[in-house]
Amino acid sequence: MQITQDMSLMEKLTILSDAAKYDVACTSSGIDRGGNGKSMGNCLAPGICHTFSADGRCVSLLKILFTNECVFNCSYCQNSCENDVKRVSFTPEEVCTLTMEFYRRNYIEGLFLSSGVLVSPDYTMDLIYQTLYRLRYVCRFNGYIHVKAIPGADAALVEKTGFLADRMSINLELPTADSLKKLAPFKSRKTILKPMRLIQNGITANKHELMVVRNAPRFVPAGQSTQMIIGATPETDFQVMQVAEGLYQNFGLKRVFYSAFVNVNQNSALPMLPGGPPLLREHRLYQADWLLRYYHFQVSELLSEDRPNFNIFLDPKCDWAIRHLECFPVEINRAGYQTLLRVPGIGYKSARRILQARKHGVLTFSDLKKIGVVLKRALYFITCSGRMMYPTKLEEDYICRSLMGDKTQIPREIRESGYQQLSLFSEGAGLCIS
Amino acid sequence: MHILICENSIDGIFSGIYRAYASRYGHRNTRLITEDALDTYELFCEYEPVPINREHSQKVADTLTARLGTEVFQELCQAVHAYESPRQCRREPNKAEAVYKTVVLGLSSQDGTKILEYLGNPYVNRVFQLSLSTFNEAHHLLGFLRFSELENGILFARVHPKNDVLPLLADHFTDRFPCENFIIYDEPRKLAAIHKSGAGYMLAEVPKADEAFLSRFSPNEQEFRRLWITFFKSIAIEARINPKLQKQNMPLRFWPDVVEMSTIQEQRKR
Repeated sequence: MQITQDMSLMEKLTILSDAAKYDVACTSSGIDRGGNGKSMGNCLAPGICHTFSADGRCVSLLKILFTNECVFNCSYCQNSCENDVKRVSFTPEEVCTLTMEFYRRNYIEGLFLSSGVLVSPDYTMDLIYQTLYRLRYVCRFNGYIHVKAIPGADAALVEKTGFLADRMSINLELPTADSLKKLAPFKSRKTILKPMRLIQNGITANKHELMVVRNAPRFVPAGQSTQMIIGATPETDFQVMQVAEGLYQNFGLKRVFYSAFVNVNQNSALPMLPGGPPLLREHRLYQADWLLRYYHFQVSELLSEDRPNFNIFLDPKCDWAIRHLECFPVEINRAGYQTLLRVPGIGYKSARRILQARKHGVLTFSDLKKIGVVLKRALYFITCSGRMMYPTKLEEDYICRSLMGDKTQIPREIRESGYQQLSLFSEGAGLCIS
Repeated sequence: MHILICENSIDGIFSGIYRAYASRYGHRNTRLITEDALDTYELFCEYEPVPINREHSQKVADTLTARLGTEVFQELCQAVHAYESPRQCRREPNKAEAVYKTVVLGLSSQDGTKILEYLGNPYVNRVFQLSLSTFNEAHHLLGFLRFSELENGILFARVHPKNDVLPLLADHFTDRFPCENFIIYDEPRKLAAIHKSGAGYMLAEVPKADEAFLSRFSPNEQEFRRLWITFFKSIAIEARINPKLQKQNMPLRFWPDVVEMSTIQEQRKR
């Protein structure tokens, strides 16, 4: 039996933002679009964080579900149809009012609209489409819109919606098809990957069209992203990263997000995590993800079947460098961009600055510091004009011990939020302290 | 050694640069210093205050744009807008001096547009750091700035930035809200950027703001604030609560002007 009652906008917002909070793919980045002088809004490619919630994460978009009614029963999700929670839905008008008024006050950068599956995937997708249509054409909103494609929705609907949104995403949820089958019986790899491929093809076709017709409407201009839940199922970091690499290479994704699992349903089939969500593991995955996207690393270089998990004590780049000491030390005044990128403590920005600055003179260690190189990590791996900063040994144990003394190896927020989680996956630990 | 004392503003420093070139003392024998960084006088130096001359400053600006390009010019302006703490003043080259020597280097090199790549040079490096600090604060404020709707529909925001970021903010919001009337008020500098719907913005000095007028909000204002704070509270994941990370990402000095943070802090006090 369903009891319906009129709820105030405040109650709806509370329930539907609470229900959307576990979705982490919510940056406002990827597209530069200036204002057009008439409608409200513009977009900045690096994205803007408008506030940081009590968990320290960036809030940039109005992240809400259209409805938390759902016909699916995914066991990790609090909106699963088997759960006894209050069910509400917004109307398209309400979503538009909230977005416009929040945007005017500079609370948000745009809208992130996800949804439970109401009645059927097509029905829900159509509601989302109507909302976006109203927002773009009635309210004349020109800001950022990120929208979820509902798995199993009709291709034509997804395509129509894509012309209104900046970014679309379909959550992969779990890294392997088996886990997905177990935890989300109504979803399958096929229903998730099909729309992903559809959007990818749409983006490619749109790019070609834009080359010919400059003013053609743009389809998902900020690209698509996805999210994987980490720690709910027994996959290793190696499996997770391989999936991510495949998504970047074969589906042209802009971002893959990793979400440390929180057992919201107290479901006995899922792991109980007494130490809290696996935040350190999530952190290492994000670090490795950056190595893939910006540092030309490959998953096979970072992990292997024999070493399937990341070192918890060292970040993936330091870990790689220590295992490949034959590549070091690197001479700052001569090494190429690719080589510089692989040095711990040198980011892609400082690598670029080094290339520029050394055209005009020989660089020294104090110059490097000013350029933004983190010397306490880099000093073991670099030389300036043939000299190292201090006399150090190029020796695995020695460097490893020194690097682990560096407190930034394990971020402060994780160190201080209790450290019990280490024991959960510590079989990968201590590899380099042999 | 000739030391030219100039006012801490774009016009002031550019007038100083003009004077340094026009005086023909030679760049090696000339230094520039902003008047607020001047605390002790050195021996064997001639000090000379340079008054603002808009004509001279405009000439310098035109030359810089033509020879060094708009990008470098903008970075130089951003650097001038940066705030220097007294501690920085003692350790690093003075702002005026850094800009002056960078300009000299740029105008004497073959390709002036690449001047900001010389990061090994201490003056260029200082300009780069100053410009970055202005840019970073402006980028923070693009997100942390909060408008409130006043009784007459005007959007009003108050900010307390360290650096002079008002032009950067006004540029951004003029592009974003072309059809809104809004005011951004830089309280410590008593400067306001005023934007009228459908037009550009202008900067105005506001020695005294009418606080009574600024606290009369539109009827909907409180409602949307409450909705926003509700959203803000419910979006946090309890299992990941982490106030330190929150403070690291959003420094405390911004909080008084961010409506959700100041309201929550007030509620806690009560």
